[in-house]
Amino acid sequence: MTNNKSDITIAIFLLCFSGVMINDASNIRDLGFEGMKADAWPRVVLWLLVLMSSVMLGKSYLKFKTVSDKDNENFSINLAKFKNALICFGMFMLFLSTLDYLGMLIGGILFVFGLLSLLGGFSHKLLVKHLLVSILSIGFMWMVFTFGLRVILPEGEILRVW
Amino acid sequence: MFDVILQAGASVLLDPVTLGLMGIGTLAGLLAGAIPGFTIAMGVILTLPFTFGMSPIQGLATMMGVFVGGFSGGLMSCMLTGIPGTPSSVATTFDGFPMVRSGKPGLALGLGLWSSFFGGMISAVILVALAPQLAFLGLEFGPWDYFSLIVFALTITVSLSGDNMIKGLIAGLLGLFAACVGEDEINGVARFAFGSDHIRQGFAFLPVLIGLFAFSQLLSDVEDSAKAKAPLMKNSAEAIRVEHRKAIATVLMNWINLIRSSFIGIFTGILPAAGGSISNILAYDQAKKASNNRNEFGKGAVNGIIAPEAANNATAGGALIMMMALGIPGDIVTAIMIGALMIHNIIPGPSFIQDEPLLAYGVFIAFFAAHFFMVGLQAFALRLFLLVTRIPMYILASVILAYCAIGVFALHNITFDIWVMFGFGVIGYFMRKLGFPLAPMILGVVLGKLAELNIARAIGISDDYSLFVTRPWSLFFLIMAIVSVLFPFYQNAKKDTLFTKMYVPISMILLSLPLFLMGSPVRMVVGGILLSAGCYFIYKRSSILKTI
Repeated sequence: MTNNKSDITIAIFLLCFSGVMINDASNIRDLGFEGMKADAWPRVVLWLLVLMSSVMLGKSYLKFKTVSDKDNENFSINLAKFKNALICFGMFMLFLSTLDYLGMLIGGILFVFGLLSLLGGFSHKLLVKHLLVSILSIGFMWMVFTFGLRVILPEGEILRVW
Repeated sequence: MFDVILQAGASVLLDPVTLGLMGIGTLAGLLAGAIPGFTIAMGVILTLPFTFGMSPIQGLATMMGVFVGGFSGGLMSCMLTGIPGTPSSVATTFDGFPMVRSGKPGLALGLGLWSSFFGGMISAVILVALAPQLAFLGLEFGPWDYFSLIVFALTITVSLSGDNMIKGLIAGLLGLFAACVGEDEINGVARFAFGSDHIRQGFAFLPVLIGLFAFSQLLSDVEDSAKAKAPLMKNSAEAIRVEHRKAIATVLMNWINLIRSSFIGIFTGILPAAGGSISNILAYDQAKKASNNRNEFGKGAVNGIIAPEAANNATAGGALIMMMALGIPGDIVTAIMIGALMIHNIIPGPSFIQDEPLLAYGVFIAFFAAHFFMVGLQAFALRLFLLVTRIPMYILASVILAYCAIGVFALHNITFDIWVMFGFGVIGYFMRKLGFPLAPMILGVVLGKLAELNIARAIGISDDYSLFVTRPWSLFFLIMAIVSVLFPFYQNAKKDTLFTKMYVPISMILLSLPLFLMGSPVRMVVGGILLSAGCYFIYKRSSILKTI
């Protein structure tokens, strides 16, 4: 996925990120004590990040100028390539957003079942397999953590009502 | 001392629960190491949540099992299918797979298994002997020296991280920055919290690690739909009876290779961030160079299996030496181990072995014992491995993603930690795709707070910044940092340039300077040897200098 164009984009993004954070570093309170201030170390790190990002930008730009236009055009973000990763991101976000309502047990089973079906397919046979895998795996983990390790996993509104 | 070792031994070896947990850990490690797409670090990360409720010694013994098992697990897949289970078993494939194909699978597996065992044992002896001595040395360190040591650890990670050093440096800096977020250690002032109470507490170490490493790895594993749906291994393999006696005899007959490779592994492990992925190839290369039958290599040579397997297990001992003695991770796995210790309110460092002798020697004994478990469980692990490889990756990945969420939640019982894991998982995934190495970032996260704390202490004690270069140990580590930064240029430069000819001798001469400043007779002798060797190399190459 990497080429000069992507490196230039990333370097610019990193420069913007560092800029925002350096700006926010001025909001760090100074308690007036002797010694190193709370904002000193992050500032050093961020300025080094600015320096490295600038070097990366410069190097990528120089390469971009010397490499033929055809080679540079070869870079394109192929979303289809990231389909599965995007599905995982989406499902995980949904799982986390609904965790307070569904709880870890129901939410976890639904997350695994949904993800398995989206990644593996929706045939009847597969759906049954995915349902079994999700119930058994999450059920087992839930039991190990709840009863074995005494961790109070999020119960969720639904189970709480019951 | 002997009492402490006995007590530590009893706490590990006479407690059936600890032994059982270590056995389970070793089995998990063997499987994690064997499955392509999984790594030892991932195995340790996934085991970690189970250890929260355990006592420190039980938790560490379990993870020691995963650590040792993981290094040996890789040989199963690389020998039986030709696909290395972990990067630390890449070189084993070169001769292990051909030996299996030539009809000697039992011997090949036996050689790998027993080389791993003996390599691990040698490194365990060195660990017990060297770690306490190195810790005593560490007690000499002031904050200036510690800060410079951390700088060295980060630069060597960057220099070993591949072709693009700038990306490695950026990754390391991002890791250091992530460690800055939240209340600072010295003044308790909130930084970069953007009004969020959760962020004010800072990012917990484990969600960041699990996100960066495990979460992003799982997403990469399911990227290709066709591969994700297919069983993990297409090449079918069968359970094999390991030829133990013949293998032990063969390994011991090649003892020179065994010892040389083990020491290569130990040395590589001691270097911060240089792990088994490097040592196994280095050891293989040296075994090939030293062999009278170089043509046999690549066709199933016995020494081609002994060298990488002895080296990769010995690396574990080397990495533990640094972790136990100085609190600096020898590789990603020991970085995670440091996180695990911190969960149990134990901060490894030079005083760790003195302050917590039972725990420290317990870890040493667990490291020894895990090797016996590894040998005993290999046959069972092989059968389990053959079962697991029938499962498609998308099923494993989906279940493990959910498990990651449960495990991370168990750390502090807050949902925010899962969000942190998710956030860093996304960052880690895109960093992988954009060619940024993750190891420097992980080390940055682990060492960030320690670096800040030490520089703050140094400035608090004295505002004389020259102490960073006038204190011998600090100067030594800073020179080492410069040498490691220049190392990739040395590797890539043409052979006959002035730089390549002078890089090693000048490094030696420079490193002798702080050794002389230390004043102790032994160190001055070492410094003298380095200086003499450096001058000798310069003299030898002076003829080349003249031509240039």
